[in-house]
Amino acid sequence: MNARRSVAAALSAAALLTTAACGGGSSDGQSPEGAGSPQAFPTEDVTLTMWWWGEQEAPGAKQWLADTVKAYEAKHSNITIKTVLQTTDGLIPSFEAAAAAKQGPDIEYFWGGIYSQQPYWSESITPVSDYIPADELAHYTNAALEDTYDGRTLTAPWYVNPQFPVLARTDVLDEHGLEVPTTWDELLNVCDVLSADGVTTLAGGVKDGWFGGWLYSMLGAQSVASKDDVTAAVRGDQSFTDPNHAEWWTRLEETREHGCWNDDINSLELYQAQQRWVDGDAAMTITAGTDAPNFVEKVGADKVTVTTMPTWGDGAYAGKMGTTSQTVGITSWSKYPQVAADFIMFMHTPDRLQAWYDQTGSLPADDRFDMSKVGDPVKKQLFAYAADGAPYLENFIPSALDSKAVFAGVQLVLQGSKSGEEAAADMQAEAERLRRTDRSLVDNFEGWTD
Amino acid sequence: MTTDVATVGPASRPVRRGLAHRLGPLPWVAPAALAILFVFAYSMFELVRQSFQYDDAWVGFENFSLVLTDPLFRTAIWHNTLLLVAVPVLVVLALSVAVVLYETRRGVVAYRAILFLPYILPIPVIGVVFGQLLQLNGALNGALDGLGLGSVTQDWLGNPQLALWTMGGVIVWKEVGFGIVLFLARMMSLPEDVYESARLDGAGFFRMHWHVTIPQMRPLVVFYVISEAIVMVSWVFNYVFVMTNGQGGPGTSTVVTELYIYRTAFQDQAPELASAAAVLLFLSTLVLIVGFFRVQRAEGGTFGD
Amino acid sequence: MLIQRLGAASRHVVLVVMCVIALGPGYLMVTGSLKSQAEFLGHPWALPTSPDLEAYRTTFNDQFTRWLFNSVLVTSVAVLLTMVIAALAAWGLVNWPFRGRDTVLGITVSLMVVPPVVLLMPLFQVGAELGWISTYRIVILVYVGLMLPFSIYLLANFFRTIPASLLEAAALDGASPFQVFRRIVLPLSGAPVATLVVVNLLWAWNELLLALVFLQTDEKKTLMVGITGFQSRYSLDIPTVMAGMVVATLPLAAAYMFGQRYFIRGLTAGGLKGE
Repeated sequence: MNARRSVAAALSAAALLTTAACGGGSSDGQSPEGAGSPQAFPTEDVTLTMWWWGEQEAPGAKQWLADTVKAYEAKHSNITIKTVLQTTDGLIPSFEAAAAAKQGPDIEYFWGGIYSQQPYWSESITPVSDYIPADELAHYTNAALEDTYDGRTLTAPWYVNPQFPVLARTDVLDEHGLEVPTTWDELLNVCDVLSADGVTTLAGGVKDGWFGGWLYSMLGAQSVASKDDVTAAVRGDQSFTDPNHAEWWTRLEETREHGCWNDDINSLELYQAQQRWVDGDAAMTITAGTDAPNFVEKVGADKVTVTTMPTWGDGAYAGKMGTTSQTVGITSWSKYPQVAADFIMFMHTPDRLQAWYDQTGSLPADDRFDMSKVGDPVKKQLFAYAADGAPYLENFIPSALDSKAVFAGVQLVLQGSKSGEEAAADMQAEAERLRRTDRSLVDNFEGWTD
Repeated sequence: MTTDVATVGPASRPVRRGLAHRLGPLPWVAPAALAILFVFAYSMFELVRQSFQYDDAWVGFENFSLVLTDPLFRTAIWHNTLLLVAVPVLVVLALSVAVVLYETRRGVVAYRAILFLPYILPIPVIGVVFGQLLQLNGALNGALDGLGLGSVTQDWLGNPQLALWTMGGVIVWKEVGFGIVLFLARMMSLPEDVYESARLDGAGFFRMHWHVTIPQMRPLVVFYVISEAIVMVSWVFNYVFVMTNGQGGPGTSTVVTELYIYRTAFQDQAPELASAAAVLLFLSTLVLIVGFFRVQRAEGGTFGD
Repeated sequence: MLIQRLGAASRHVVLVVMCVIALGPGYLMVTGSLKSQAEFLGHPWALPTSPDLEAYRTTFNDQFTRWLFNSVLVTSVAVLLTMVIAALAAWGLVNWPFRGRDTVLGITVSLMVVPPVVLLMPLFQVGAELGWISTYRIVILVYVGLMLPFSIYLLANFFRTIPASLLEAAALDGASPFQVFRRIVLPLSGAPVATLVVVNLLWAWNELLLALVFLQTDEKKTLMVGITGFQSRYSLDIPTVMAGMVVATLPLAAAYMFGQRYFIRGLTAGGLKGE
């Protein structure tokens, strides 16, 4: 929560190549009022800078943003907005560097949940609800679920990611007389049959860790009642060894026992592994929601069924897809937060929402977007999942817990050197350790849950 | 300064010790001193200060105890220790190849050039290429299968029992060329008559190199041992980082101390713990420094003569 | 005995095997860059059936030329500065013996062992306070600081071996310390200087960690930082990744091929023997 910690985060070179970390900065406590009320809209020449990411997962975003800026500048002749597209590796470190120096972008891109919270905790952003009216924010998908702290909305959702669709090749399954599995037992049966025939059921790669977080979110959500269960476990009010948090590890172990995965899952990166599915060497795989339509297209829509992780639990979220929104926030050092907020609201005008869908094929994070305009059945299905989604668990635990316990644990369970039970115990031990080492963790998570 | 001309020379004792003389080295040394102070002194000071603080408050040894009780930290230190096993492997390999090269006069230049090549490859390149090469269904296992060695194929980087040794193997692959070139050059500069007399005494190949070559090379070998030991303890980060996508995986099987510090500071946002771990790592590298000094004193100056 | 009896032929066999192992990964990289993805995955060791430069086109459409320029600039300035500063300091330390000099040298040497990752955080904080993040000067300065200890140590040890008689003769001729340094000491120091240039050049060119943290804008990235991002961007397109790796390796490999004699002589001759 102080400058020193935010600098460290700065180096959050986490993002360099590894997982991502989080923000820094300072909320300067504007009165949480309606748009433009704290400061009048400027009449002098104003230049805003926006650092963003997302072209990789939503191709077309760059063009859309350029068009949007142009339209906004046409409306406000005294305003210029410069956009800088960041690399995946550079997004967080460059922001953290900016936060340390208190200069840089006015508008910054953040992933949802913990990635939106941590910059607020380290005071590098001003909550958008200080400048955007509550009735406007109420339309922004997932804002309340992920990006709200103590009644304040920290960052403004931009577009929605359905996380994560399971893609099944019906051609491969048909060959072996199998159906697309929807329950856990069906999945294990498919694994048994296919592995006996030397075919991979699920293509995955965990060398780079990320996929572990995906699996946690998809499997773990099936036994929790709400995201508050997860934050409670982080705070220590529940335990990661409790059945509702631990059982997914056992299920994961079952997938290994039944030979569901490609044998080289530990030496492949996630994206390398997904390629196996495209090449027809695996019956199923899991991809980013925004990217799924591209994968479907590569294989042919007639051969692919888009579905969710087969269900093993009877929790409220079993059979659902996770939903998370990628967001934009206003930096605490921005001189014109009211203009930044106004631009963000402009991004949510009907014309811009429709254009976003047309140009990227992904779902804008706004319930005013007219879903009836979506023709493509795959997208339609994905959007329906995202609109009625489960919390994306990975976004509700500290990133350190994610990489140290989840990423590492999934690698070892899938490799066979650790049992699911041991992995759950490790996760609990790591959470306990984090509470000891990060003395403000519990307080921050308490504020988040309220 | 010109008044001190007479005192120039390392061997000559200064005749006069005026102020001018005492300040003599200052302009020469100042730029280096400034750069070193900037990079090291301030950083080390900050590091030690932060290792005793949390949120700008003094917490005594709390950070140290948190680090020392972290099983991952102990694992990381242990992995560095295990990697030291690669040092004798490097020395034996480099010495053997150097001896073979020395005996083989034909084509030495070409062999030497090729064997040195891995040493100039950037580590990110090594990470990418070996990442492909060492996959379970990758090129190395493919080649082994093709050679009828299917039984020795392994999931080189995916098996937690093996990954650290694979890492050590890659480091040996890259660093051995440096040793070969060092040792060979030294052998070639040894006076020929040493060997002649040994040959006349009827010394065989092994006896000759064991009794003549190796003793002559001792200081150089020690230098190589120490610099490679430094690599294994203090400079191994890049290898682990690029070959495991920054994870130190599978599980924690390739986490080394540097990676632990890096992740604690930049991923877990716990700079105070990273500082404490860094101080501990620095203290343990002092052992190497002491070793270095011992050698230097024993060999009387330059590592080689 | 054994090896001798097996004779020259077996020695060549051993050496050829070693060379194959040394070259294998490089071969994979170069041929991989000329193949199609399917060809690489199917037959990694085969020669490309229809060599294709497409991957290189993709590579050069990226920002390789910019990164290359940055690497050349940062590396050459840092190494040059290091050499000048280290030579001055080493001569200063050797030429004016003072109480505690050996301690100073000792401390300097011991800094070689400090892992850079340890210094990263405080250095970044200073850099941020100075507003020097994403500037060449912060990276150059840090590189110089990190290269100095070994450089000073090596040069100081070498300077000590210069016969005093030479220096005294020059001093009697009325040469100033600087003149002695320039006319006598430097010309004698070709070998250790070459050694250092090679070692420092390799180090600075290949340095990743500091560059990754300090150079965050695309315009300032060095080749090592660039290819790290490049490889994650194109991770599915193996030929392109391999082409990028070849391009990243080429400058040093070319320098090495053409200057091999100096490389190796530099590495070994001077410092290590004390000449």
